[in-house]
Amino acid sequence: MSNFSRTAQQWATFARSWFLIDAKMQPPGKIATMCSVRLQGKHKPIYHALSDCGDHVVVMNTRHIAFSGNKWEQKVYSSHTGYPGGFKQVTAAQLHLKDPKAIVKLAVYGMLPRNLLRPNMMQRLHLFAEDELPEDVLANLTEELPQPRDVPRTLSQYTQEERDAFPRLWTPPADYKMK
Amino acid sequence: MVFLTLSCLVRSRGPDRHWKVQELLKHARHFRGRKNRCYSLAVRAVRRAFVYATKGRILKKRNMRTLWISRIAAATREHNMKYPALIHNLGKTSVQVNRRILSELAITEPRTFLSLAKLAQARREEGFRAALGDGQEPAGVFSRVMVTH
Repeated sequence: MSNFSRTAQQWATFARSWFLIDAKMQPPGKIATMCSVRLQGKHKPIYHALSDCGDHVVVMNTRHIAFSGNKWEQKVYSSHTGYPGGFKQVTAAQLHLKDPKAIVKLAVYGMLPRNLLRPNMMQRLHLFAEDELPEDVLANLTEELPQPRDVPRTLSQYTQEERDAFPRLWTPPADYKMK
Repeated sequence: MVFLTLSCLVRSRGPDRHWKVQELLKHARHFRGRKNRCYSLAVRAVRRAFVYATKGRILKKRNMRTLWISRIAAATREHNMKYPALIHNLGKTSVQVNRRILSELAITEPRTFLSLAKLAQARREEGFRAALGDGQEPAGVFSRVMVTH
C-alpha cells in the first residue's frame, strides 16, 4: 500500500521538443528507429514507459525515401478487411504510389510498443510527403536530426568534367558499340 | 455467548470462523466484483494474488534494472557514447557505481554523469591506443604515475 502515499517524482520536464527529420534518400527503417526512440522519450534520462515523456517528430520528404535491394517490388504489405476474401496484399511500390506517407507510418507504428499509449505517440508523429511544412509546424521546430545516410549524388548532378575524370574499371575498345 | 436452547448451542461453531473470514477478506477488499465480499470467491482470488505478488517481487528487480539501463543509455547517448562502451570502461577504471546510482546521477547530477562519461571515453581511447601499440599517455588525464614521479 506504500505506493499510494509515495509522492510523485517529477523533474519539471513537461516541455515537448519538436524534432525534424529529412527522409530524402534515407532507408525508412532507419528513419522509423529515430522516430520511435523520440516518440517514446527513450532519449531522455528521465524515461519511464508510463510517464508519457515523448517528443514530437516531424518527418519531411517521405515521398523520396529509398529502399535498398528489391524491396520496392518484393516487400509486401498485407492487411485484412475482416470480411471473407478480404485479404489484401500490395507491394511497397503500389502502396507508396497510393499514399507517400504510408510506408514510414507503418514502419514507425510497428516499432512502437503495443500498448494503449501507441495511438498517442502516433499522434505526435507528423509526416509530410514533400519538404513544404505548414507555418504552425515550422514555428514549433526545435532541432533537426542528422540523416543516417549520406544523400548520394545523381548522374545529372555531376558535371561533364567529373564524369570524364571518373575512374573506369574497363576501357572499351575503339570499335565497341554501346547498347 | 448465551444459548437458550441446546440446539442453538450445537449449531453454533463459535466466533472463530467469522474472524478467520475477516482475516482473509482484509486482503480482498479492494478487488473488483463479488470477490471483495464473498468468502468462497475471495479465497481463490487472494491465493492467486499472493502467487502474483511472490512472482512480482522477483520481476520487480529485473524490471528496475532494465529501466536503469535504458535511462543510462539515454544519458550516455547525449554524450555521443553507447551504453556498453560506458559500462565496460567504467568497470575497467574501477568505478564501483552501480546502475541505480548511475541513473540517479544522470537525472539529478548531469555534470557528475558527464565527468564519468568523459572518464570512460578516455579509458576507451587509451585502450584503443594500447591495442594499436603506440603507447602514449592520453591527453587531459591526470594519472597517478605523474604525481609520484
